[in-house]
Amino acid sequence: MRRLMGFLTVAMAWAPSYLPAQTPARSNAEPSAKSAFPRAADGKPDLTGVWQGGSTARGSWEEANGGTGVGGTGKNPNAPAVLSASDRPATAEKAPYQAWAAQKVLESYKLRGIDDPSAQCLPPGLPRTSVLGLFPTQIVQTPQQIVFLYEYMHEFRVVPLNAKHRDDLAPTYMGDSVGHWEGDTLVVDVTGFNDKTWLVGTGTFHSEALHVTERYTRVDKDQINYDITLEDPNVLTKPWIIHTNLMLREGTRLEEYVCAENNLAPAFYERLQKNNVNFQRP
Amino acid sequence: MKGRGRWVVTAFAAMGLLAIPAAAHHSFGAEYDANKPVTLSGTVTKIEWTNPHSYFYLDVKDDKGNVANWKFEGYGPGVLYRNGWKRGISMKPGDSITVTGWRARDGTNWAHARQVTLASGEKMLFGPPAGTGDGGAAPPVEVK
Repeated sequence: MRRLMGFLTVAMAWAPSYLPAQTPARSNAEPSAKSAFPRAADGKPDLTGVWQGGSTARGSWEEANGGTGVGGTGKNPNAPAVLSASDRPATAEKAPYQAWAAQKVLESYKLRGIDDPSAQCLPPGLPRTSVLGLFPTQIVQTPQQIVFLYEYMHEFRVVPLNAKHRDDLAPTYMGDSVGHWEGDTLVVDVTGFNDKTWLVGTGTFHSEALHVTERYTRVDKDQINYDITLEDPNVLTKPWIIHTNLMLREGTRLEEYVCAENNLAPAFYERLQKNNVNFQRP
Repeated sequence: MKGRGRWVVTAFAAMGLLAIPAAAHHSFGAEYDANKPVTLSGTVTKIEWTNPHSYFYLDVKDDKGNVANWKFEGYGPGVLYRNGWKRGISMKPGDSITVTGWRARDGTNWAHARQVTLASGEKMLFGPPAGTGDGGAAPPVEVK
């Protein structure tokens, strides 16, 4: 089962349909010897660094991305592109939506995602923000808290360790995160979401009952195994489990991302609809 | 200018391509038609290095000498920077370039830029492949 889950079959959002789906195998490596990655003063694995989601390639950003057509960080326009946040990060199964909810997801798919909340520059939520490959994520670790800084949409999460969720949570886009260590794995429990984001993949809506459990296990200097469990009894039939990676990108710095600067997408969509331009899937 | 990361192309092509989730800020697939590829040569008139996406404008002359100004969309400045683009250096107003991409579905002089061939002959990627951000080849749920 572990081995089966270790494969991340990648859906091709940003890929022409004639390209074959990529099936990058995630390393099933168990945590390496203690010397394989840096540890913090308190003995915990130190996750501090700049990371790229969804990749299995080691090396700097340039080295890891130079050849792919991916998310556009490559040099070869004919190279297969890869998973986008508008796509299902295909695990062994498709998203286990209840029948009525699956129909709603399909409506967004038919609309090619013009109802995507992120097209309005709203925070993308989880795990959409945290599995990205096109934009880096910086982790800053202290004994008391872990801070995630996301270039995409300029989002951040402050994760207090060994703390409980507040009992007066108001629904938010990125949810409320608390963490703890289970051995060498950082476990982050996220709740308190609003229902205005997509999980990952076009149309993958959820309710305010969404509960996300993340497990970050640094297996060697270059790689964190990132395992996500999504639970939402209001729309899913069972937990949706995603296994993916974060890869260390030494030398990369986060850039500014101000989505509201020049967001022409909503007006474009409006124009398409107003002029009855055929953009929907059949 | 020397292309960043050019040397790794061969290495990674040999290894097979690795999957990287990419953020789709919005649906290129809704706005641009993957069945309408376009390649145009002309003179750059303006560049907007902006989020969430960048744009450049190109004066394109047809056979009769008529000039039309085209607008091309691509990645935001952070992604372009990591892809080797240098603002104010790689491409400037007045440069002669060739761009390959896909036309807007509404038939206007808008397109989604993929590959740009700079005046130097260097080829760089300005935007993602066709059809991106629109959900991909298969829906995220079973089709009943």
